[in-house]
Amino acid sequence: MIYYIYDGSFEGMLTAVYESYIRHECPEKILKGDCLQDNLFVEYVFIDTDEQKAKTLYDAVKKKISPGAVKCILYAYLSEDKEAGTAVYQYLKLGWKMGKQVDSAIAHPWVFQIHTLYNKVRGEAGRMLGLIRFNLLRNGIYYASIEPDHNILSIIAHHFKQRMPRQDWIIHDVKRDLAAVCHDHQCIIIPFEFDGPLPLDQQEIDYQSLWKEYFKDIAIKSRINPKLQRQNMPLRYWKHLVEKPGAAKYFYPK
Amino acid sequence: MDLHTKLKILGAAAKYDVSCSSSGSSRKNTNGGLGNASLPGICHSWSDDGRCISLLKVLLSNCCVYNCLYCVNRAASDTPRATFTPDQIAQLTVNFYKRNYIEGLFLSSAVYKNPDYTMELMLSTVIKLRKEYCFNGYIHVKAIPGADPLLIDETGKYVDRMSVNIELPSNQGLKLLAPQKNKDSIIKPMEFIYNRILQTREEKKLFRSTPSFAPAGQTTQLIVGATMDHDLKILHLSESLYKRFSLKRVYYSAYVPVTRHPSLPIIANPPLLREHRLYQADWLLRFYGFTAGELLDEKHPNLDTELDPKSSWALRNLDLFPVEVNTADYEALVRVPGIGVKSAKRIITARKHHMIDYETLKRFGVVVKRARHFITCRGKYYGERNTGGTDLRYLLIPGTVRKNKTTTPGEQLTLQALYPHAFTGIDIFTTITGEM
Ligand code: SF4
Repeated sequence: MIYYIYDGSFEGMLTAVYESYIRHECPEKILKGDCLQDNLFVEYVFIDTDEQKAKTLYDAVKKKISPGAVKCILYAYLSEDKEAGTAVYQYLKLGWKMGKQVDSAIAHPWVFQIHTLYNKVRGEAGRMLGLIRFNLLRNGIYYASIEPDHNILSIIAHHFKQRMPRQDWIIHDVKRDLAAVCHDHQCIIIPFEFDGPLPLDQQEIDYQSLWKEYFKDIAIKSRINPKLQRQNMPLRYWKHLVEKPGAAKYFYPK
Repeated sequence: MDLHTKLKILGAAAKYDVSCSSSGSSRKNTNGGLGNASLPGICHSWSDDGRCISLLKVLLSNCCVYNCLYCVNRAASDTPRATFTPDQIAQLTVNFYKRNYIEGLFLSSAVYKNPDYTMELMLSTVIKLRKEYCFNGYIHVKAIPGADPLLIDETGKYVDRMSVNIELPSNQGLKLLAPQKNKDSIIKPMEFIYNRILQTREEKKLFRSTPSFAPAGQTTQLIVGATMDHDLKILHLSESLYKRFSLKRVYYSAYVPVTRHPSLPIIANPPLLREHRLYQADWLLRFYGFTAGELLDEKHPNLDTELDPKSSWALRNLDLFPVEVNTADYEALVRVPGIGVKSAKRIITARKHHMIDYETLKRFGVVVKRARHFITCRGKYYGERNTGGTDLRYLLIPGTVRKNKTTTPGEQLTLQALYPHAFTGIDIFTTITGEM
């Protein structure tokens, strides 16, 4: 049994798939370097990421299967699911045979799995478009922290770039030490580490309390339904919400 | 009066307006202004009652010259009053928006001085937002019944969505509870908005520069349970509103008793379960190809509270079932209890390649617990055999466990009646996703 191991990057994942074609091997799994377990019966093959190979595969998927398939494998990667590499490998195997038809073969387990990952990532990204809370800092930057399950920063950054072209903002994924930074119509994603008190702007405190009061008052008392609230807005996202307890601990307003 | 107090009064006063959706518009960000609209809409938070918060929902004023009996803001009520200035609303909207608390503004109002005066203030608020603050986010404005059509016309050019509330399902209801309103004062502006939307759409085909008019369409809302009107009447009304004025949504709001009056029903809690069933039936009208007349008739004018309307319909039409999932057409599939729009589409797509088996149905999100009684899969029937309509009924009611055959239906019924809320949680979710 052969397992291919890649470095955890998208290019690495694509290179691994590409290598299997050159080497005429059928790896049982394609895994990230950090999820290895000792197994006597497995031969681990470490794949060196090669951007050229990755690009070749990427273009081939786009042309021979479909642009939709490219999006599918990218989102599957961003899901950071342990099985993502293997699923992509199997999905593409079917894709070469079926062409753009592959995405309608949803009864097929691997296609279904890729679509499930895709929907998870898309779902969380969509949800995050609403749940992000910007805090105005004293230097005029709007700062938001998030801790999503999946690596969705690159998907959501575009939305805010279009929506707030004149605003300087940072969306900080504190779980992955990444940030989307937007300044003067330019938006980049960079490694970002920061944890410390953030100086809030004076009017920020006022707007936060207006929002919190509004949030409290808008609920109809005779219809209180915490279960439904949590179903729609899972608890794990509350930490970074202004209107829910837990938000304030990131900020020490003066 | 400071802004906090005003927002407290005018936010709380707007909470009984159900609509908070920010969908249907794809307004672009222009000239580096602030914001845009997202076609499917975005929810930003969920309040403690579980409802989505998408728009900053406030009244411009709660000082009312009208006297609708069911309303806290009626002229005769003793409640704190406040009125925003247009600039205060604009500032709040823009600052909440920049922090990503909201998708935009939902502005409604009590009748302050008179309908025209109120509408003028609302118009100047939206003009301020669009022009002065270059705000391109979502705006939904409530048209005030009785306001000059010219004002409504002008407002429509700046907003994404407009709505006029029907309030009560019948004219008698209005006469009794909202004496200053009548069917005409509500239907006329609705019709006016509808015609303007159509006209704009036609003109846009010829001249792309035609200014838009409420591109996200119009909606309405009615109160359920304040009058004696039954569900059939309500559904017929919704059906004709969808047909006649192409409304995007009809919202139903369970009557919340906020005041007392001899003409008002005395209830302890808002009829939430009934509201929920109406929403389910409404989905069936809009997305599942059902008509009001199929779901209810004069003999059964009210929706079954124990069972969702689709299951209830299926039980009355057992002769149409079972259908074979591998061959039935889409229209027949979505009529199966437990199969929703999404899973029906999946079935149709997937069966082009393979015959579908029972396990796959589960993966596709079909609620097989319910659906199995109404389908065959590769010719095989997975439901319980020899069950008549009544037995099947108990199998379908969520939360009922048939312990043994001796349980009498009567006992089950009382349980249901005693704890209706225990049975709502499960399918409340279905209202949101529209899957049934
Ligand atoms: S018009 Fe009627 S429903 Fe509207 S605020 Fe006035 S009293 Fe209330």
